Amino acid sequence: MKPLAGGTELLLLIRDKKIPTPKYLLDLNAIRKELSYVKLEEDKVRIGAATTLYELSQSILHKDKRYAGFVDVFYGFATMAMRFYATIGGNILSATQYNDYLTLLTVYEPELVLVSKEGERRLTLEQLVLDKRKLAIKPDELLKEIIIPVPPENTSSSFMKFDRRRILIAGVVTGAVLLTLNDNVIEDVKISFDMIREKRVPGRAKKTEEFLRGKELSEEVVEEAAEKILPSEMERVSDWWTTAEYRLDMSKVVLKRNIFRAARRIRGGK
Amino acid sequence: MVETIRVNLKVNGKQYVLDIPPDERLIDTLRYRLGFTSVKEGCGRGECGSCIVLVNGLPRHSCLTLTATLDGAEILTVEGLAPEGKLHAIQVAFLETRGVQCGFCTPAFMLLTKALLDKTLDPSDEEIKQWLASAICRCGSYHYYFKAVRKAAEYLKKGKILFDEKEVRKNLYKLPLLR
Ligand SMILES: Cc1cc2nc3c(=O)[nH]c(=O)nc-3n(C[C@H](O)[C@H](O)[C@H](O)COP(=O)(O)OP(=O)(O)OC[C@H]3O[C@@H](n4cnc5c(N)ncnc54)[C@H](O)[C@@H]3O)c2cc1C
Ligand code: FES
Ligand code: FES
Repeated sequence: MKPLAGGTELLLLIRDKKIPTPKYLLDLNAIRKELSYVKLEEDKVRIGAATTLYELSQSILHKDKRYAGFVDVFYGFATMAMRFYATIGGNILSATQYNDYLTLLTVYEPELVLVSKEGERRLTLEQLVLDKRKLAIKPDELLKEIIIPVPPENTSSSFMKFDRRRILIAGVVTGAVLLTLNDNVIEDVKISFDMIREKRVPGRAKKTEEFLRGKELSEEVVEEAAEKILPSEMERVSDWWTTAEYRLDMSKVVLKRNIFRAARRIRGGK
Repeated sequence: MVETIRVNLKVNGKQYVLDIPPDERLIDTLRYRLGFTSVKEGCGRGECGSCIVLVNGLPRHSCLTLTATLDGAEILTVEGLAPEGKLHAIQVAFLETRGVQCGFCTPAFMLLTKALLDKTLDPSDEEIKQWLASAICRCGSYHYYFKAVRKAAEYLKKGKILFDEKEVRKNLYKLPLLR
C-alpha cells in the first residue's frame, strides 16, 4: 500500500518499475482539504503535508523575506502546470537528492509530524530521511504536518539549482543557505546541498557553518569557507551528467552566491 | 476479475458516470473512452505538457493523473472551449497570430492560456513565460504564443468570447502575411 498525493513521483516509479507495483494506492485527495494549509503561529509555521506548491506560493512563505528560498525553489520546480498538484509532503517523502524542498527545508530544521492509528510522533528531517528512498516512516503512517520554527527577524534564505536549463532539470548542484546577520556579523548560518557525503539525500555542511558562525561577513571569509572548508567535508560523485570535479567547483560557486544573496535579502534587496 | 471504481466526471460541461479500472490514466479516459482526441500524449511522464487539460480550472498533466482520483471533478479540453460552429477568443487569437504550426502542442497551449487568463487579463511577460513554459512546442511557435495570449486577453476584455467559426475562417485569408 502506498499513499498517493500528487502522484508526480509515485506514478513514475511504478511506471518505470523502480518499485514493485503496490497492491493498493491510498488516494489522499479525499483528505486533501484538511492536509492543505500554511498557518503562521507565534513561533512556528505549520504546513500541511498535502499543500500543493501553488498553495505554498499563495502563503506567507512567498511574502516574508525570512522564507525567500521558497520562492527560489518554486520558480525552478518542474513546470508551472506541475506546481498546481505536486505536494510538499510528497517532495520530502520522495527522499532523493533531487528533491528541492527537501534541500531547502534541511536548513530550516523542521519537525515532521507523522500520524497513525497509534497517535502522533515527531521526527527531525535527519531522523525521517535516512538515505535515498529510505525513510523512517512506517507503512501505516501518514505525514501530516511540517513545522518550521520562525527564524529571527534579520534572517533570510536563498536556494539555487545549477544546471544547463532553468526548468525541467534535476540540478547538477543544488544548495540552500539560511543566514542570520547581526549588523555584519554572521550570527547563524545553515548550509545544505543536494548531498554532502556518501548519503544520496540532502545534507548539511556543518563544518563550513561552524567556520562561518560568529565571523564578520566579507568576500575573504566566504571565499575561504568555500575553497578550504567546504571541500574538506564534501564528497562529490561523477555520473552521466557531470564529473565530481565540476560538481565540487559549482558547489563552491553556489555556496558563495547563496550567502551573498541571502545577505542582500536581509538588507531589503533581491 | 477487473475491479473498477465509479467516478463522476464533468467533461466539457457534460456529466459522465464511469466505471474505471483504478490504474487508468486521465489521458486514456479522455482519448479512448470519451473520444476527446485533442489531448495528446508526448512523453507520458510530465515533461512535454502535450497532455495538459484543466481540472477544476487548473492545468494538469493527464498522463500523470489517475482518473479514479477525480470523482466530482470538472475537466476542460479544447473541445469544450466553444460549442459547435463557434470558436473561443483564445482559439481565434491563436489562429490570427499564426500561433498554430503543426498543431500537436496547440491544445495544451490554449488551455494554459485559458487558465492564465481566468486569473488575470493583464499577465506580465514573465507570467506568460512561466505558465506557457509548461508545454513544449517542437515547431518553435513560442514567440507567436506571447502575441496570441495578449490578443486573446484583448478580446476577452472587450467581452468578445465566442466567434462565428465561418466568419473567422473567411477573415483569416485577408490577414497580411507575417514578417
Ligand atoms: C517532469 C517532472 C519534473 C520534476 N521536477 C522536480 C523539481 O524541479 N524539483 C523537485 O524537487 N522535484 C521534481 N520532481 C519530482 C516530484 O514532482 C516532486 O518530488 C513532488 O513534490 C512530489 O510530490 P507528489 O505530491 O506528486 O508526491 P507523490 O508522487 O504523490 O508521492 C511521493 C511519495 O511520497 C509518499 N507520500 C506522499 N504524501 C504522503 C503523505 N502525506 N504521507 C505519507 N506518504 C506520502 C507517496 O506514497 C510516495 O512514496 C519532478 C517530477 C517530474 C515528473
Ligand atoms: S504526455 Fe504528459 S507531459 Fe508529456
Ligand atoms: S505547433 Fe507543432 S509542436 Fe507546437
